[in-house]
Amino acid sequence: MRKVLFILLLANILLTACASSASDAPAKAVEEYLNALVAKDAARLPTLVCGDWEEDALIELDSLQAVNARLENVACSQTGTEGNFALVDCAGSIVLTYNNEDQNLDLALVTYQVVEESGEWLVCGKQ
Amino acid sequence: MGLNQIGASILTALLVGLWMRGAARGVFLLAFSALALFWFQPAIPLRSFDFWIPSLSIFLVVIVWFITSTAGAWKSRQNIIGLAVIIGIVALVDLTRYIFPDPTLTSTTPPRLIVVIGFFALATFAIAASTVLSRRFAFTLILVIILLVAILLILKSPNLSLQLSVFFRSLTNRPLDTASALDLRWLGFSYISFRLIHVLRDKQTGRLPELSLPEFATYVVFFPSLSAGPIDRAERFAGDLRAEFRLTQDETLLAGQRIVVGLFKKFVIADTLALVALNDSLAAQVHTPGWMWFHLYAYAFQIYFDFSGYTDIAIGVARLVGVKLPENFTSPYTKPNLAQFWNSWHITLTQWIRAYFFNPFNRWIRGYKSLPAWTMLLAGQLATMLIIGLWHGVTINFIFWGAWHGLGLFLQNRWSDFAKARIAVTNPRIQTALHIGGVLLTFHFVALGWVFFALSAPALSFEVLMKLFGIH
Repeated sequence: MRKVLFILLLANILLTACASSASDAPAKAVEEYLNALVAKDAARLPTLVCGDWEEDALIELDSLQAVNARLENVACSQTGTEGNFALVDCAGSIVLTYNNEDQNLDLALVTYQVVEESGEWLVCGKQ
Repeated sequence: MGLNQIGASILTALLVGLWMRGAARGVFLLAFSALALFWFQPAIPLRSFDFWIPSLSIFLVVIVWFITSTAGAWKSRQNIIGLAVIIGIVALVDLTRYIFPDPTLTSTTPPRLIVVIGFFALATFAIAASTVLSRRFAFTLILVIILLVAILLILKSPNLSLQLSVFFRSLTNRPLDTASALDLRWLGFSYISFRLIHVLRDKQTGRLPELSLPEFATYVVFFPSLSAGPIDRAERFAGDLRAEFRLTQDETLLAGQRIVVGLFKKFVIADTLALVALNDSLAAQVHTPGWMWFHLYAYAFQIYFDFSGYTDIAIGVARLVGVKLPENFTSPYTKPNLAQFWNSWHITLTQWIRAYFFNPFNRWIRGYKSLPAWTMLLAGQLATMLIIGLWHGVTINFIFWGAWHGLGLFLQNRWSDFAKARIAVTNPRIQTALHIGGVLLTFHFVALGWVFFALSAPALSFEVLMKLFGIH
């Protein structure tokens, strides 16, 4: 039992170290957010955003209800910080399809604000 | 359970049935069942709750096993392996957070490992403390039963669930406006809690045989019967696990037939009927009695095919791994009276309620010798059916539904006693006509009861009942 606990502890230290050292965590949080958004996953989306942004996120999700949405060539990266926020820019677009007609929402026009809460990176606004 | 999950369950069961023998079969079934607990759990809009809720299910299973097993039982090799498998699965699910870029075994990202290690430490302390308490004070078992009933009550009560969601949201600094009673969907807790209460009660009465942790935990969270039952008995289930099993061609065919029938019932018949089955919006829009009856019939058959379809799938999948789950439905709509209907509808729930509520309640009420026999019967039938109603949900409509059946059973019992003494039918044609009349009457009584079950509010339900008879 002690061995098992020791191995678990060691694994935890290694994995948390890896996880916290990963500089792309805020960018990954935005990508997860965008994935949940286009999947219209109302249960998952609130778990990826901060409390202050939850209602806005759900409104954004509601705005996609009548169309088909998908991501195209999305790649996000952290471009800076602003106070507590990490700023994340994304390349690519959200493609909205309605009545066989595509409309592209260029993600390059938006900068996402991402905040760390209890060790988790959460989308908390956009500029 | 969706088609993906059913498919994975069938495939896993086939592999276990074909290749796993002896103890390996039990250990693998435990591992997959624990894994399924996480995988089948629906997404919850509160961060990591879809990880914590299955973890709590597992915690409850382990704690109940510790307090119902003999002292020192956990030190046996089999139980240490079981414990290691359980801890390993919880840790593995959590580690997917670090291994995969997107949530893999859970709907949302699991919590950090350090938090889970803290949970393990707290759980170990709680298990140790309750085990010590249970050895000294018999009421520990009662306290755990009360805890399980309290959780069930909260989960089944929309208002209490909403308040709890608000509480969790305020703790985690989330907006309270978006709280919903559906935020705390606990996969299979209705069944898990009843299995645990059965074990705790049998322990209290000295009827519980010794079960190993792998047997016990697999019994409670057995993947085919996780989301829709049936509620097996622990000792019967353990007997199947202990028996040598080899999946034969005949057994595979029988299981396969059952699964195909179940899939057809659920995904073809029930899902098609769902398009026209009675619901709140149809209830408000439809005004003619004919169409209302049509939607009510559709609902009556939809709920039957949906539930019995899932049961068929569960029984078929379990059969592939050598577990013969009990039947839950035996053509309930062909029964000539309500008592027989309840002996063939959700049979394992009815048997559970009979064993752990109706019989003790009857013994208790018979102590009041001054009460007339009919009041005892009425109280027993009503209380039992109200409990069954409340098990489905703590709402006024489920209370009406339970009371409808409780009164129905009482009236049928009185009529049966009255008719038996006075009416003797020997003509086979009249007997057949009476039987058919009984079937039709019973079906329509049950169908009218479904009005309360299908709709969310009493006012709408009474409005529909009036529309059905052209009164509105």
